[in-house]
Amino acid sequence: MFSEQFFRFDNLANFVGIFVVIFSLLIILYSLGFMRKSKGLIGYYLYIILTLLASLGAVFSNNLILFMVFWGILGLLLYLLIGFGQKERTPATAKKTFIIIGAADALMILGLALLWQLSGTLQMDKISIALNEKLAVWAYLCLAVGAFAKAGAMPVHTWIPDTAEDAPAPVSAYLPASLDKLLGIYFLTRLSLEMFVMNRAMNTFLMALGSFTIVAAVMMALIQHDLKRLLGYHAVSQVGYMVLGIGTANPVGIAGGLFHMLNNAIYKSCLFMSGGAVEKKTGSSDLDQLGGLAKVMPVSFGAFLLASLAISGVPPFNGFVSKWMVYQGVIETAKSGGNLWIIWLVAALFGSALTLASFMKLVHAVFLGQPSQQSTENRVQRTEAAPSMLIPQVVLAGLCVVFGVFAYRLPLAKFILPSIGQGVAFAGIWNPNLAAALILVGIIIGILIYLLGTITASRETEIFVGGELVREHPQMRLSGTGFYDTIQQLGLLKAAYALAKRKVFDLYDVCSKITFGFVRILRYLHNGVLPTYLSWCLLGMGILFYILLR
Amino acid sequence: MMLSEQIIPLFVVIPLAGAFLISLLGKKVKLLPDMLGVLAGLILCILSILSVRLYNASGALTYSVGAWRSPIGIEMVLDGLSVFMLVTVNLVAFCIALYAVNYMEKFTAKWKFYTLFLLMLAGMNGVVITGDMFNLFVFLEIAAVASYALVAFGTERQELEAAFKYAVMGTVGSSFILLGIVMLYSYTSTLNMADMNSVLLQKGAGSLILFVSVLFLMGFGLKAALVPFHAWLPDAHPSAPAPISAMLSGVLIKALGVYALARIFYNVLGVSEQLSSILLFLGTLSMVVGGILALGQWDFKRLLAYSSISQVGYIILGLGLGTPLGILGALFHLFNHSVFKSLLFLNSGAVEYATDTRDLRKMGGLSQKMPLTSTTNFLASMSIAGIPPFSGFWSKLLIIVAACRAEKFGYAFWAVLVSILTLAMYLKVIKFAFLGSLKDSLTRVKEVPLFMKLSMAMLALICLVGGVLLLPNLYGAFLQKASQILLLGAEYGAIFIKG
Repeated sequence: MFSEQFFRFDNLANFVGIFVVIFSLLIILYSLGFMRKSKGLIGYYLYIILTLLASLGAVFSNNLILFMVFWGILGLLLYLLIGFGQKERTPATAKKTFIIIGAADALMILGLALLWQLSGTLQMDKISIALNEKLAVWAYLCLAVGAFAKAGAMPVHTWIPDTAEDAPAPVSAYLPASLDKLLGIYFLTRLSLEMFVMNRAMNTFLMALGSFTIVAAVMMALIQHDLKRLLGYHAVSQVGYMVLGIGTANPVGIAGGLFHMLNNAIYKSCLFMSGGAVEKKTGSSDLDQLGGLAKVMPVSFGAFLLASLAISGVPPFNGFVSKWMVYQGVIETAKSGGNLWIIWLVAALFGSALTLASFMKLVHAVFLGQPSQQSTENRVQRTEAAPSMLIPQVVLAGLCVVFGVFAYRLPLAKFILPSIGQGVAFAGIWNPNLAAALILVGIIIGILIYLLGTITASRETEIFVGGELVREHPQMRLSGTGFYDTIQQLGLLKAAYALAKRKVFDLYDVCSKITFGFVRILRYLHNGVLPTYLSWCLLGMGILFYILLR
Repeated sequence: MMLSEQIIPLFVVIPLAGAFLISLLGKKVKLLPDMLGVLAGLILCILSILSVRLYNASGALTYSVGAWRSPIGIEMVLDGLSVFMLVTVNLVAFCIALYAVNYMEKFTAKWKFYTLFLLMLAGMNGVVITGDMFNLFVFLEIAAVASYALVAFGTERQELEAAFKYAVMGTVGSSFILLGIVMLYSYTSTLNMADMNSVLLQKGAGSLILFVSVLFLMGFGLKAALVPFHAWLPDAHPSAPAPISAMLSGVLIKALGVYALARIFYNVLGVSEQLSSILLFLGTLSMVVGGILALGQWDFKRLLAYSSISQVGYIILGLGLGTPLGILGALFHLFNHSVFKSLLFLNSGAVEYATDTRDLRKMGGLSQKMPLTSTTNFLASMSIAGIPPFSGFWSKLLIIVAACRAEKFGYAFWAVLVSILTLAMYLKVIKFAFLGSLKDSLTRVKEVPLFMKLSMAMLALICLVGGVLLLPNLYGAFLQKASQILLLGAEYGAIFIKG
C-alpha cells in the first residue's frame, strides 16, 4: 500500500508534511476558543481533521491520480469549512471559491491526461518532460493553474479576499493562509523542478506573474476597509514572492521561494488569528469601527505587530530573510542575460515597501489610534481573548522571530536546503545574529531613553487634539482607514481602481458574464414552439444526410 | 436456486404481470399497488444482480421465445452489456418505486401510476434483453407510450402541453427508427441482431447502411435527447411527477436512446470513422448546450433536465471515442448518471413535496429543515460535478483521459469546461435551495416521510462508493464485461452463431 508507486517520503514532502501537522494542531487549539458555542462543531472538527489527512495524502502521494483525489477533496473541504461563516454573503463566497478551485481542479485533470499521454506514466518521480512541444506547455499550464488557484496567484486569486472576509477566522488562517499556500507552492515546486524541465520562456512567465501578483494585490490591499479582507489581499500578494522565487530557477531563488512559503504560512495565520481575536471581541472586522485595542488586547497586539513586521520584510524577522533570498535569486538571473530582472526586482522591493505601508495603516487602525464611537460603547466585552486563542498566536509570532534570527541554522539547514537537494550559494553579507543583536541594543537604548525621559518630567492627561478632548469630538478621530485614499485619485491608478471595483479583473465574474450571455442566446432559441423544435430535428437530420451520403 | 437462461424472460414477464394485476385489482385493494410495485422492483433488482453472477459463470445466454429457434424466432440475449443495463435500470427502478409509495399520495389514482410505471419498466427491460430488431422497436414503443402518459399524469395545463410535445416528437423519432429497421430487414432478410451483423459482414455495407445510420442517429438520438433532437426533454422531464422524472432522466433516455444507439451501431452496423466523429461532435454539442442552458435555469427540475442533456453528451462522447478506455468511461458514466440524476430528481421531488415550489428563488435555508434531503442532494451534486472521491469523478476522469489518449485534445477540453459548468450549476442549486437563511414562508417545512428518505439514502450511498466498481474484482465482473461486448464490434454476430 505504501509502496513507492503510490507514496513517496522525500525531504520536500517531509518538510511540508511536518508543517501541515503543526499548523493543523495550532488551528485546532485556536478553534477551541474561537468556535466555542457555534453550531455543528462535530462537523467542523471532522472537516478540519479530514483536511489534515487529505493534505498529508496530497503531499506524500507519488501517483498523480491519487494526488488529484486528495487535492480535489481539499477543495470540497474548503467549501464546507467556509460554510461555517455567519455572514450574509458566506454562501455566495463559498460557491465562488469552490467554482474557482473546482475549475482549476478540472483543468488539472486535463493536464494529468495530457501528461499521461506525453510520458506514459503517472508516477510523479518518473516524469520528466521538456517543455519543447506545444502539448507539454499546455500540460504544464493546466497543472500549474491548479497550483496557482490553490495558492492564490493571479489571475485565479479572487476567492481569497472574499473567503478571508466571509469565512470564520480559523478557517481563513488554516486554508487560504497556511495549508493552501504550502500545498499550492509545494505542487508548483514539484511541477517546475521535477516533472517538467523548465525553459527560459516559462521561467520568465512565472517571474512576470509573480511580480505582477505582488504589486497588484498589495495595491488592492492598500485601499481595503475590512481587516480580514485586507489580510486576504496580502495573502495573494505574498504568493507572488514564492512564484517569483521558483521562477528564478536558481537554487537561491527556489530556496527563497520555499522559505517564503513557510514564513508566509507562519505570519499570515498569526495575523488571521489575531484579527480573528479582535473580531471575536469587538464583533466587527470593519476598520472604521476598530481602534485603540492595544491596551485591552496586549498579547494579540504583540503577536500582530511581530507578524506585521515579518510580512513587511523588516529585519531580523523571517520574512526579511526569505525576501532577501528571493531578491538574490532574481539578481542571479541577470547572469543568464536579459535586463528584465530589474523589473522583477523593483516590483518585489516596491511590493515590500507597500506591504509595510499598508500594515502601518492596519496596525494603526486596529490597535493604535483612538477607539471608535461604537467600540467605546461596547467597552464591556473588551478584554483579551481566551488563552487557547492566544497560545497559537504567541507560538507563531515566536516562530517569526526564531526563523528570522536563526534562519541559517534552523529552518534553512533543517528543512529548505535538503528539500531542493543542491547547494545554495548566498551572495551579499547578511549576518542575522549581528543584526538582531544591534536591533536589540537599539531597542534597549530607546527604552532607556524613554524611561529616563518619563521619569523626569511628564504628567498623564486625557487625549486631546488642539486643546479639545477627542472623546467629545468624534470627527477629530483619525481612524487610519483613509491613510492611502489619495492614491486612489492618481491618474491611471484611479481608472484601474474604478475598474477593479466593477470586478473587471475578477476572472470569475468575467467568465460568468460571458456564460450568461450564451445562456440568453440559447434561451432565445428555445421558444417552446413545437414546429420549431421539429424543424431542428429535420434540419439536423438533413445535415447528417449531407455529411454521410454526399 | 438454479440459475439458467430461464430467468431472461422474467425481466419482462414480472413487470408486465405486475402491471396487469395492479390494473385489475388495484382499484379495490388499497395497498396492493404499492406492495406490488415495490415487490416487482425488488425482485427485478435481485434478479439483475444474480444475472451478473450468471453471466460471469456461464457467458452469454440466449432464450428463444416460444421455442422458435433463431434466427426465425425472437431471441432474448443476456450478454455483458445487457446485464450491465439490467442492473442499472432495475436498481434505480426499485429505489424509485420505493420513493413513489410516499410521494404519489399527493395524486389520486395511484394504481394507474404503478401500472404505467411497471409497463415502462417492462419496455425498458425488453429493449435491453431483446436480440431482435423489430422486437426492440416494440418494447421501445411500450416504454415510450407509457412515458407519454406518465408525463401527463398531473393533467395540469403545463403537463399536458409537455406530454403533447413529447408524444409528437417521440413518435417522429420512432417512425424513423421503424423505417430504418424496415430498410435493414429488406437488405438483410433477417431481424435477429447477431444474424444481421453476420449478413452485413458478408454483403458489405453500402450507402443504404449509411442512410439507415442517419435514421437511427436521429431516432435514437431523439430518445437520448442529443442536441439538436433534444427539445422535448426540458419540457417533459420537469412536468412528470418526481419519481417519473427520475425514471425518465435516470434510465429511460439511456435504455431507449444510448443503449440502443450503442448496441446497434457497435454490434450490428459497425462504427465507421465518420460515424464516430459525428458521435463525438453531437456528444460535445449536447454537453455544451445542455450545460450552458442548465446554468441559467431557476426551476429546480428544469435545471436538472438540461443537465441530463449535458451528461448524456459525455456518454456519447465516450462512446464516440471508440477506444476501450472511452467506452469504459462512457458506460461507467451511464451507470453513475443513472444513480445521481435519479437521486437529484428525487431530491427535487422531496423539496417540492415539502415546499410546493420548484422555483429556486423561493427556497433558501432548507438544510436546516430537511437535513437528509440536503445531504443526499449534496452528495449527488458533488458526484455529478466530478468531485473526488465520488463516483462521477472517476467516470469523468476516464472520459477525459480517454479523449487525450485518443489525441482528441479539443474534445477533452470541452469535457473539462462542461465539468466546470456542471459544478457551477449544482453549487447554484445548493446555494439557493439549501444554504443561507430560512425564508419566512418555509418555517413550517418538514422533512419528507420514511420511504422517500430511505430511497434517497440508498442512492446517495451508491454515489458515495460508486468508485469501487473500478476495483479489480468488481471491474472484471461488471464494467469490463459490458465494454467488452461493445468492443467486439463486427465479431458480435459470430459468438452467437457458433453457440
